[in-house]
Amino acid sequence: MLAVWLLLVGLFGIVTSKNLIHLALCVTVAQSGTYVLLLAIGYREHGTAPIFSDVPRSRRAVDPVVQALTLTDVVVGVTVAALLLALAVKAHEHTGTLDPAELRELRG
Amino acid sequence: MSALVPIACALPLLAAPLVAGAGHWLPRRGADVAGILAAAATAVLAAIVLARSFGGLSAYWFGGWRPRDGVALGITFAVDPLGAGIALLAAVLVTVALVYSWRYFDEVGTLFHVLVLLFLGGAIGFSYSGDLFNIFVFLELMSVAAFALTAFRIGEEGPIEGAFNFAVTNTLGAVLILFGIGLLYGRTGALNLAQIGRALEGGNRDGLVVVAFALLAAGFLVKAGAAPFHFWLSDAYAVAPAPVCVLFAGVMTEFGLFGLTRVFWMVFALPLDDAFEFVRWTLVGVGIVTAIVGAVMSFLQRHVKRMLAFSSIAYTGIFLIGVGMLTPDGLAAAGLLVLAHGLSKGALFLGTGVMLERMHSVDELVLRGRGRRFWLSGITWLTAAVALASPPFVGGWQGHEGLAHASSSVLGRHWTSAFVTAVTIVSTGAILRAGARVFLGWGDRQDPLLSPEPEEESEREPKRPALLLALPAAALAAAALALGAIGTLTPHVLRAADQFTDTRAYSATVLEGRAPEATQRGRPPTSTESVVWSVVATGGAAALAALALWRRRLPAVLRERAGRLLVPPLDGLRGLHSGHVGDYVAWLTFGTAVLGGLFAIGLRQ
Repeated sequence: MLAVWLLLVGLFGIVTSKNLIHLALCVTVAQSGTYVLLLAIGYREHGTAPIFSDVPRSRRAVDPVVQALTLTDVVVGVTVAALLLALAVKAHEHTGTLDPAELRELRG
Repeated sequence: MSALVPIACALPLLAAPLVAGAGHWLPRRGADVAGILAAAATAVLAAIVLARSFGGLSAYWFGGWRPRDGVALGITFAVDPLGAGIALLAAVLVTVALVYSWRYFDEVGTLFHVLVLLFLGGAIGFSYSGDLFNIFVFLELMSVAAFALTAFRIGEEGPIEGAFNFAVTNTLGAVLILFGIGLLYGRTGALNLAQIGRALEGGNRDGLVVVAFALLAAGFLVKAGAAPFHFWLSDAYAVAPAPVCVLFAGVMTEFGLFGLTRVFWMVFALPLDDAFEFVRWTLVGVGIVTAIVGAVMSFLQRHVKRMLAFSSIAYTGIFLIGVGMLTPDGLAAAGLLVLAHGLSKGALFLGTGVMLERMHSVDELVLRGRGRRFWLSGITWLTAAVALASPPFVGGWQGHEGLAHASSSVLGRHWTSAFVTAVTIVSTGAILRAGARVFLGWGDRQDPLLSPEPEEESEREPKRPALLLALPAAALAAAALALGAIGTLTPHVLRAADQFTDTRAYSATVLEGRAPEATQRGRPPTSTESVVWSVVATGGAAALAALALWRRRLPAVLRERAGRLLVPPLDGLRGLHSGHVGDYVAWLTFGTAVLGGLFAIGLRQ
């Protein structure tokens, strides 16, 4: 539920955003929805971290696969966020505005 | 054999940092040579992989983690002819783009080569992967490289805005895909495509499966640029450098459809066994809307690159109709069309590169008659446009014929042919019109129907030989033209599509290592009907281009009537393409909701 909520809030933020930096952060909010979903799928009651070097094998552990997926996705998300913020900086340099409504080079 | 498969993917990925690191010490041309060599070597490897893949699906398990008792823990590349084919197309287009950009990006050093090689690595990994999460990772690798390439001319306002819209919408598409993957993993505990398919086969089709399918379909359609998710595409293509557009139009959007097709056949084909009809009409419906929007909008553009972008959207719609038939024949027809479209659209985009560099504009009206000196580019433009229009035995003719043939059993042959012909007439007519105006100076200097466009001026002085610019495009156009005459193409693609859609054989090969039986397919006989349709398409495109150029010679009454009838809806459609990223995301949300709602209603058990 939290995952879907984060996704929807992020989408709403993007649609109504008046600032490119705010918009880029909304994208990361929507993305964190997927992290929460993935981690929730791998959760086991009373599980420990899936590191087997110092605990007995019989201990219940949370699913390591989804953690790996989340980690990969975090990396992807950071790359995209960095790129978006760099573009926002450049847009500000060139036009002096961060409002997407004023950047209208590409109409029609 | 199998070792070649990962090498083909790893080669461009390894070459990219090497080129980046060595760029400082290499002589000026060193990075160009290294980049071209790496891409060409990748193309050769991809060709070998393709040739061998016809012998049967080959699975490569990384680190030797083979599946035991049908449970796959390891990560796999599973190569089939269709995936190998699209990988080869990507490698060839990347090579051509790098040859074209010889000395194009001198001021930025090796960055361009690095990004293009990363794009190629992602593309090849994507088409070879047999693992859902790896498909996602490679898709993202490819997309991030594409975002950066779009914003390459960072000194101008347009590229920044286009890249921003592109990055935001495509990242959200990726988020939808990842949601779908997460749900599937939660249900099946597997990421291997074959294993997921098998796990879902026994269970019933409940809400979770339907939602996962809707999310994955919406995500891949965003990447493919299908309406109403297509808004980013025209912005990104209009501002990206010409050699980058070649890659985008040739393979990137097609990878969205490829992903959708792969996931559908490997994962959802069995659980959705009895609902094919519904999924078929939904996908074909999306394809029809996409084709109409793309064709009409392309006709309204005076910015030549943007026109080509909308024409690519129109073709995405046609591909989607082929893929959406959910039959091997439809898939094969779409594959043939992708091949012809990739080559000819590549030639056209390189043609716009020549315009920008030699004539300092990509505005059709500004350029009127300025291209007369560039006869080779003019001939290339015409050749590529003809290859797109596909008269009998030329260009995408086999694909058009296959599409008509495939639709006869599932959609109805006549209206499919008529619709595809109409879309071809409009989108190719726009290309012919622009070509005639620029290279021949025909038609009026003003045209109030076309969208007002900002100027896009090149700051660079022309210092590269004209022949170097024109030759790669000419080669691509010639290849596209020759495609239609290769008789053995259709049977091979049909065989590949048969293999692609055989879900059970796929999972048996991947999970148990059983070799599939090779099938043989003949080419369907050429029918008079499809010859007639394709002649109509080519002639109609030429006639429409002439009509657009010399509209003023028509009687005034006729012009006024047509104007009153056509202008309001066209203006409405144009108004939707606002260039505002918030609007695009609103459309994306709306499209996803509609798709999800349709599937929820239609796929209930």
